[in-house]
Amino acid sequence: MDRRRFITVTGGGAAGLALGGSLRAGPAFAAQGTTLEFWDTLNAETRLQVIEQLATSFGEQAGVTVQHRGWTLDELSSTLPRSVDSNQAPDIAQVNNGEALAGPMIRAGRLVSLAPYASQYGWDQQLPPALQARNMFNEDGTVFGEGQLWGVSIEAEIVGFYRNKSRFEENGVEVPTTFAELETAMQTLLDGGVTPLVFGNSDGWTAIHLFGNILGTMVSREYLDGLVYRSGDMSFEDDAMVNAATKFREWVDRGFLQEGFSGITSDDAAALFQAGEGAMLMQGSWQLPAVLEGLGESAGFFLTPPAEGGGTATPAATPSGAATPVAAATASVLHVGGVGIPYSIITGAQDPDVAAEFINSLISDEAVNTLLDAGVLAAAEVPADKIQAATVTGELYSAWNEALAGDAIGHYLDWASPTMYDTITAELQRLLAGETDPQAFAATLQQDYAQSFTA
Amino acid sequence: MATPELPRVAVRKRGLSGSSWEPWLYLLPGLLIFTLFVVVPVLGTVAISFANWNGIAWSTAAFTGVDNYITAVTDSLFWGAFWNNLVLIPYFVILPAILGLIPATVVHQMGVRGAAAFRAGLFLPYIMPGVLIGVVWRWLLNPVFGPVNAVLERLGLPTPSWLGDFTLALPAVGMIGAWAAYGFCFVIFLAGMQKIQPDLYEAARLDGANPFQEFTAVTLPGLRREIAVVLSVNLINALRAFDVIRATTDGGPGRETEVVALYMIDTAFGAKQVGYGASIAVLLAVTTLVLSLLVLRLFGERDG
Repeated sequence: MDRRRFITVTGGGAAGLALGGSLRAGPAFAAQGTTLEFWDTLNAETRLQVIEQLATSFGEQAGVTVQHRGWTLDELSSTLPRSVDSNQAPDIAQVNNGEALAGPMIRAGRLVSLAPYASQYGWDQQLPPALQARNMFNEDGTVFGEGQLWGVSIEAEIVGFYRNKSRFEENGVEVPTTFAELETAMQTLLDGGVTPLVFGNSDGWTAIHLFGNILGTMVSREYLDGLVYRSGDMSFEDDAMVNAATKFREWVDRGFLQEGFSGITSDDAAALFQAGEGAMLMQGSWQLPAVLEGLGESAGFFLTPPAEGGGTATPAATPSGAATPVAAATASVLHVGGVGIPYSIITGAQDPDVAAEFINSLISDEAVNTLLDAGVLAAAEVPADKIQAATVTGELYSAWNEALAGDAIGHYLDWASPTMYDTITAELQRLLAGETDPQAFAATLQQDYAQSFTA
Repeated sequence: MATPELPRVAVRKRGLSGSSWEPWLYLLPGLLIFTLFVVVPVLGTVAISFANWNGIAWSTAAFTGVDNYITAVTDSLFWGAFWNNLVLIPYFVILPAILGLIPATVVHQMGVRGAAAFRAGLFLPYIMPGVLIGVVWRWLLNPVFGPVNAVLERLGLPTPSWLGDFTLALPAVGMIGAWAAYGFCFVIFLAGMQKIQPDLYEAARLDGANPFQEFTAVTLPGLRREIAVVLSVNLINALRAFDVIRATTDGGPGRETEVVALYMIDTAFGAKQVGYGASIAVLLAVTTLVLSLLVLRLFGERDG
C-alpha cells in the first residue's frame, strides 16, 4: 500500500551554487534556503512520478528544497483544514474547487489570492474563461465562478467513451457521430452478445458522469453554468433534467449497461474493460494511462456525440413543474469535465513568491510536455506534435482540443451544493433501480439545491 | 451498571503508613491517556454540537444552541439512517448470539477433538478489521466475478446483485455483520459453559434429562451473565456500525444501508456541517449508552 508517500527533493542547485558554479540562470528572487512543501492528490504510479520529476526539476533550478506529499482526495480534504489550524500546513496544496473546499477556505482567510500573480505570470490567459471560472471566487469567497483566481490547475479532465476497437470491428460498429447512432451501436453490440457499456455504480459517482453526459446533449451553457455557479435562478426541476433521467433509465431497460452494475464499483468496471470485457467504458481522461496499459492499441476514445438537430435523443416525456425554459442545445454537447484540482497557496506560506514561481513552473511548456508524454491530460491546448492518429492517447488529446476550442466543457453536477454529491449519487441509484421516476428524481435534486443555501 | 464477575481477592487495607496519593500515581498514566483521548474529544464533540461550524477555522464557528438537535429530530435522512440501524439489530445482535451458542454447546457438551483450533478459527472474523471483512465480502458477493454467484449460477439459481439490490442490500450487510460477530459470541459462551459446575449436569442426567433439557435447564441459566455481555457488546456494534458498511455498500444503493454513523461522517466531513455531524454523534452515543444499560439491566443484575 503506497497511498501516502513522502518525498523530499533537495535542490541540487544550491550545492552547485555553493561550489561557485553559475550554470543556470535562477529566478529573480533569492530563494536559497527556502523550503517549499506541497500536498496534492498525485499519489501513485504515473502521476506521482511526473510530479516528483517536475518538483525535482524546479528544486534544482531555483535552489529550493521541495517536499511533496501525495494523499488520497478524502485524506487531503480532511487533513488540510486542520493542518492550518495547528500551524502544520504546507505552502501549497490542491484545494478542491468550489464549495467542496475552496469556498470555505477562502472565507476563513486560509488561501492567498493569486490575483497579483495571475497578471504577473499571465495565468489568466492559461485557459478559456469558462474553465478559469472554476478556480475563481470573489474577494471574500462568497461568490463562485467569478472575481479573482485562487488556484491554478495543471491537469484537465474530460469524460467520454473509451472503446475497445476489436469489439467494434467484430460487430461492424463504427464510432457514432450522433446520439442516435450511439444508441444504434449499443443495440448492435448487445445483439452481438457484447456488453455495450461496462459500468459499475455501487460507489455511485460514475452515474453522475454518465447522466451528466446524457444531460449535456440536451442543455445550454447558460443553464448548466447558472446551475453550478448559482446565478440566474436555474432549477433542477427542468425538462432537460427529466428527459435525461428518462433516457438513462431507458438505457438500463434496453440492457445497454453492464449486468449487475449496482453491485460492482467503478474500479471493478474499469478493470473489466481494461481486461477486454465489453465494448465501451465511460470514464474520465484520468483513466487514460490505465486503459492504455490494459488494451494498448485496441483502445480508442470518442466524446458523447451530439443529438443533431431536432432533438432525436430526447424522448417524448411530458414532465410537470418545469421551472425554467431552456433552449435545447442539440447541435453541441457539454461534456462532463473541467480542470483538475487546482494548486493554491496557503496563508502563512514561508515565501508566497517562491510558491507562485513553483506553481508557474507546473504549467510551463516543459511541464505540459512532461504530463502529455506520460498520458496525463494537461490543462492546455495539446500541441499538434503530441497527437498521434489512431491511438487512444491521440484520440483523447484531439477530442480535448476540439472541446476546448468549441467551449464545450460542461460541469460535474455534484458541485451544485455541498450535499449534492450524496443526494445525486443516492437518487441516481434509485432511478436506475426503478425506485424513483424521472420527475421525482428531478424534484429531489431541486429540493437539495434549494435547501443548501437558505441556511 | 453490572460489574464483571471477578474473583474476590482479599484486599489488604493499608495502614496509616501508606500515603493517600500513592494509588493516584499508579493511575496517572492511564488517567492521562484516558483524559487526552476520551474525555477531551468527547467534551469537544459536545461543544461543537452546539455550534454551526464548517470545520475550517474555529473562529468562524457560531454558537447556535440546540439548533443542531432540532434539525436532527426533524431530519428525515437521520431517521431513515436510524431505522436502518434498528433493522440491523436482529442481524448484529440476535443472530450471532444464536450462531455462537450452537457450536459452543456442541464443543462443550460433546467435546470436539481439536477444540482449540476450532475456537481460534471461529474467532478469526472477530479480530479482522471491519474494512477487510467488507472488502472480502464485496469480492465474494460480486455479481460479475464473485464466487458466490458463480456457484449459484452453476446450480441454476438466481444471481442477484447482493449489495446493489434495494431489497437485499440491508439483509446482506446484516449477514456480513452476523458473520463478523458470531465468533466472539462463541468464545464468550464457551468460556461461560466451562465455568458451570459439572455436578449440575450430572444431577440433571441422574434426573433423566436429555441433552436438550440439559441445555435449557443447566447451560442457559448458567450463561445469564455471558448473554448480557454478548447482547450489549453486539448492540453497541449494531448501533455504531460503520466500517463494514463503508467498505461494502457505503450506504447504498440509494440510502438503503445508510446507518447513523455513516450519515454522521458524511454530514460532518463530506458536507462540511461539522456542528450538525457532532450533534448526531452525541445523539448516537446517548442512544447507545441508554440501550446497552437497558440490556445489562434486563439480563445482568438479577442474581447478582
